[in-house]
Amino acid sequence: MRSLYFAVLATILLLALLGILLQHYLRARRRAQASWDDLLKQLRWVDRDKLARIALDVIDESGGRSQTEGSFSLEPPEIWSLLGGLDGLEVLEHNCQVLVELAAYVQKWYPEALVVAEQLRLNAREIEWHVGRLKGAAQTGNIQSAFADYAQRAAAIYYLMTRHVLNLYEQASIPGLAELQRAL
Amino acid sequence: MHLSGFDRFVWAAGFCGHLLLLIVLFARRRASSFPAFTTYIAENAGTTVVLYFVANHLSFDAYRHIYWSLGIVDEILQLLVVYEIAVHVFCPTGVWARDVRRVFVGVACASTLVALLLTWLAHPTAPRQIQTFMLRSNFFSAALMSELFVGMVVLSATAGLPWRTHVARIAQGLGTYSILCVSRDIIVDYVGLSQHRQLYNELSHFRILTYLACEGFWIAMLWQEAPAPRELPESMRAQIYALQKQLEDDLKRIRTWRRK
Repeated sequence: MRSLYFAVLATILLLALLGILLQHYLRARRRAQASWDDLLKQLRWVDRDKLARIALDVIDESGGRSQTEGSFSLEPPEIWSLLGGLDGLEVLEHNCQVLVELAAYVQKWYPEALVVAEQLRLNAREIEWHVGRLKGAAQTGNIQSAFADYAQRAAAIYYLMTRHVLNLYEQASIPGLAELQRAL
Repeated sequence: MHLSGFDRFVWAAGFCGHLLLLIVLFARRRASSFPAFTTYIAENAGTTVVLYFVANHLSFDAYRHIYWSLGIVDEILQLLVVYEIAVHVFCPTGVWARDVRRVFVGVACASTLVALLLTWLAHPTAPRQIQTFMLRSNFFSAALMSELFVGMVVLSATAGLPWRTHVARIAQGLGTYSILCVSRDIIVDYVGLSQHRQLYNELSHFRILTYLACEGFWIAMLWQEAPAPRELPESMRAQIYALQKQLEDDLKRIRTWRRK
């Protein structure tokens, strides 16, 4: 009986491993075939002025905590409105996933821009994390209290990240810079 | 100890393959980038020679003792190769990427736990106690390697960390071999050795031939150079400067907006 349990569970494990591997292999293959332009086309439009307003409420231009008078003045409903609610955050999350793929593309083909690409990837992952926390809060009914904190942080990081992207372009002279800047 | 013609063939082919692979690793200067993998291959080459000598000149008990001693070394080296692959993938700037370090440790712990649990469940029947132990430890090793390999693939895809050409090829060879070994070990551990010795022998031949195929894959792939990084196109410079200017203007606009 114990051998039977072993055979069933081990076979399930094997099939699961093969399924996961196949799924990620196909995804990686699609990614490897995608051109820079293909990745750029996946970016969704974001209102940069509104984003900057949310971000610069809590950070300064260098990315440090804002020390100016009037900082941290935005109220949660205002942030919600500027960002477009959870839908707006999901756009940011989607763009972050695309940026992670762009960073991977740069790391692979333009190793001289590795450091900036890695910074971009880490920032994109951090926003994904914040959006994930927000989604969790939405599921437990705590969205209003969590929104201001996580959403504003996510917006601030996204804002800084877009600047990293432009630096990245500058360092590596990657084709499609103009299109990316328009998208971001 | 009696060796069939097939046994002698795979023994010789395995040794030649390892030797050729070592030549490729050193001639193409891959050994310095992959010291653990190179050591693993060198250990395999040495093991082939030692075991062949022992099989022909010493007792079966001595062969079994040395086989298991070297098997432990082999397992440790395989884990070091996995670590080496992880360092290549998850340390793009020379240090562990902060978003993957803890997850990787978690994946390693979970993989070990699952492999241990399944190994505990396995209860292959065999004439000798040592053979039961051998079958279970083979399964544990293959399951652990497979889980770690798949875990690394998933983690790198989720985190957006690309695999460089030669790292990917080493991992593909080792991962494929481990997964095929798991499928073999599930069958062997389920049916046991007592009444299905012939099946065990055939599956062992399948395992050895798979490993020889992996050796051939590594030799061919590690001989080839990785695609060269792309050159900075001169024609793009003007565009970059223009964009940089645009960025500065953007920032000035944002600063003005802040003062209002």
